[in-house]
Formats: sequence, C-alpha cells, structure tokens
Amino acid sequence: MIRALFSAASGMNAQQTNVENIANNIANANTAGFKARRAQFQDLLYQNLIQPGAAATQQTVVPTGLQLGLGTRAVSNEVIFTQGDFSETDNPLDLVIQGNGFFQVLQPSGQTAYTKAGDFHLNQTGQIVDPNGNLLDPPITVPQNALSLTIGSDGTVSYTLPGQAAAQQAGQIQLANFANPSGLNSLGQNLFQQTDASGAPVIGPPGGQDGMGTLLQGYLEQSNVSIVQEFVNLIVSQRAYEANSKVVKAADDMYQQVNNLKQ
Amino acid sequence: MDQISVMAAAGMQARMQSLDLVANNLANSSTSGYKTDGEFYTLFTSEAAGEDASGASSVPMIQRQWTDFAPGLLEPTNNPLDFGLAGKGFFVVQGPSGPLYTRNGNFRFSTGGALVTSEGYPLLQQNGQPFRANTAQPLAVSLDGDITQNGNSIGRIQVAEFQSHAGLTKFGANFFWNTTGQEPAEATGSQIYQGKIEASNVSASHGAVRIVGLSRQFEMMQKAILLANDMGKKSIEEVAKV
Repeated sequence: MIRALFSAASGMNAQQTNVENIANNIANANTAGFKARRAQFQDLLYQNLIQPGAAATQQTVVPTGLQLGLGTRAVSNEVIFTQGDFSETDNPLDLVIQGNGFFQVLQPSGQTAYTKAGDFHLNQTGQIVDPNGNLLDPPITVPQNALSLTIGSDGTVSYTLPGQAAAQQAGQIQLANFANPSGLNSLGQNLFQQTDASGAPVIGPPGGQDGMGTLLQGYLEQSNVSIVQEFVNLIVSQRAYEANSKVVKAADDMYQQVNNLKQ
Repeated sequence: MDQISVMAAAGMQARMQSLDLVANNLANSSTSGYKTDGEFYTLFTSEAAGEDASGASSVPMIQRQWTDFAPGLLEPTNNPLDFGLAGKGFFVVQGPSGPLYTRNGNFRFSTGGALVTSEGYPLLQQNGQPFRANTAQPLAVSLDGDITQNGNSIGRIQVAEFQSHAGLTKFGANFFWNTTGQEPAEATGSQIYQGKIEASNVSASHGAVRIVGLSRQFEMMQKAILLANDMGKKSIEEVAKV
C-alpha cells in the first residue's frame, strides 16, 4: 500500500521535473542558438510478489506472476539539436551553422567550450569574441582599419584595407562536432562542454569532409523551441501531476479507513 | 476471526494491491513506450474446504497482473534518433545479461558510433550486431527499418515479435525480458517512423475511474468488517447475558 503512495510521489516528482524543463525551454524561446531539451522517463524496478515460473502445483508453473511497479523517474533531458529558424541581422559577425557542428570558444580557464550561437563581436584588440568575451578558437584578428569583413561559407574570414583592392585573409573558422552531441554538458550562456559521453571533438573546416555544416554570414539561428509544443506538453504534464495527486488522496483515504477498523 | 472479516480483509488487501498497480500506471503516464498493467482477480479456496467449497469458504485475491500491449500515440519529437514503432514487435537491445525488448525508441550515438539507449545498451540489427554508424553524417531510417547514411545502407533494425506476450516480464527502465525461452520471430508489417516516439498507453481517465471504484469497494468492505465486529460484540454482550 505504501507502494501506491511512493509510486504516486515519484510520478509527481517526475512531472515537476518535466514542468521545470518546459519552463526553461519557454524562458529561452528567444535565446539565439538555444536548443530545447526534452525530458525522458523510465519505470522503476518491479517488486515480484509471485515469481513467474514458480511452481503452482507439482505439475504446473505460474505463467506470469504478480509484479507491482514502484513508480517512475526522470532519466534524462536530452538536447534536441534540430535547426532553429534563421533571422537576418545584416551584422557581418552574426553567423549561422547550416548543419552539424559547433563554434569553439576559449574560456578564461583555458578550456574550450562549444556553442551553436553565432553572435560574435570584436574586442578592443580586434579579436573575434563571443558576447561573454570568450575568444573564438582558433583566434582570428581583424585590424581596426578594416573596411569590410566577409566570412565565406567555408569559414574563411577576409577583409579589405583602405586603398587596397585585394582582400586580405585573417584566418579560417574551424568547427567541432561530436559523436553524441546529446551527451554534451550545458554550461549556461549558450555554451556546451565536452564529456566522456559526447566523445572527443572532431575538428574541421565548415563544409569539409568531416560532415560539418556550412556558415551563413549576416544571419542568426533562433532558438528551436516550439511554443505550441511546449504548451501542449505543459497541459499534459499538469494533468498527469493532478492524476498522481488523486492517487495519494485515495491511498490516504484507504489508510484512514483501515485505522478506523479498530473502534 | 469470523468468516465475514476474513473475506473482507482479503478483499481490502487485494484492493490495496490494485491501487499499487494504478499508482504505478499513472506515475508512468509520461514514460515513453510504457505499457499499462492490469490485474486478474481470482478466488482462493482453502484446501480444508474440500469438495463442497461454497462461496463462504473462499477469499478474493489478485492472481496475477497482465500488461496491456495496446499501442501508444506516436508523438513527433523532431529528434532524428527517436524511432516510433507502429504495429507489433519490440526493438531488441543488448542488455548486460542477454537481450532486452523495448518499445521506447529513444536512442543516441555512443562514442563508437553504435545506437544506444540511455543506459548505453546497443540497439541490435537483424544480424544481431550493434550498428556502426558514422556519427558525423545524418542518418535516415526507412519505414521498414533500413538505416542509410549518405545513400549507403548500414543495416536494418531488428524488430522482434512474440507469439504470446505472456512470457514478457517487466524489467524496469522501459525494458521487457523474455522469461519463457520462446524465441521471438522477426516482426512482419511493423513500420518505423523516424523523429517520433511512442508515448505511454496509460489512460488517465481510466485510472481516475479505477481509483473511484477501488476506494468505494474498499469502503464497503471496511463497513462489512465493522458490521461483523458489531454482530460479534452484540452476541457476546447481549445473547450471553446471564
């Protein structure tokens, strides 16, 4: 009987996790480069009250047994790496990766982090940095007097200087990809970190042999959160929470009646 | 104890177990690929009653649970590594101690390029081997389970079908295991939809109705026990008045 209470409590806990995940998705519906997460659940272990295959009589065995489940748990909320919409910004340092791959940025700690958000800027020394000031890796420097900045679909950064007809190359942006991107660790600020589950990064130029996507200059990738989908999930989750709370109530009522047996 | 109390108490205990099952179903209403559990009631007749087992000498109990293998809705997730299975059958994964069967088609790449469950158990091909995919390339799954990358086939997903589901026991974590030794056959007519996942087949409204029914039956049996107690009390106090 206590099983019913704990199963229902585990269901309420799981739905709470679900709502928290949905809330974070909706809160980031306007975060450029954000990727939605989807919560996954699993049933817990089963308690065998009658073991299947146990002897019922000397000649026969119990065909299926009696197993009572012990509830549910949230097992993962994996990142869904579908492409978000592109919005035109006309900012030469706004980039979209069309396809697989992550930009690499160097954190102050010296560790490389990975991001899908392509809203880059120049810092005071002309280096390309992300909105938090982390350097793009490998670093690319654009001189202050550069007139126009062009980033090709293969990641080649070039600029023209005043009085010069020929464009100068500043470097090539390299992308990283992972065997299992869903296994990356979210750091916040749109950054991801490599884990044992994601595997080591494969690094290559955009559009190359390594299966990286190509770059598109002057566009930003919007969040891939679908508000409609999230609201539908929210309704379902809320109702499931309610159903579980009714089980708690029913189990509690039964207990109360058992206690009233002794007058 | 008198016969009424014994019967009613057994009935109450069985209803409590029923509520345990309903609670587990409702708790798993968001678990992908979960299948609803129900129960079979039976009458337990004591051996002492012998041939003339009347209604009064048997008590209700739950004999066993059964699992409703009705399909759940295929929900679109847009995740290319979510596979929704329409029709009969189960995905086969290599568990730590033999094959496990699941309707939960949520997979991810391992670092070696195998398609694995969230526990890391690899999804098996028809030839019984894990997949070896190039993780940098997008992956396309046809309705009949053929996986291709860049136009090259890398194998076909094994979908196991059982003649009878009676021997499938819940393992937890969305898996079933085969307790009968009956070898599954390759499913025919099943379709695999990429980017969808099978939702739990728990019906919340059915669960709610069950809770109401169980609560009321429980209440009635509690009343029966109180009544039996009352009768006993009266017969001792009033009939045997000296």
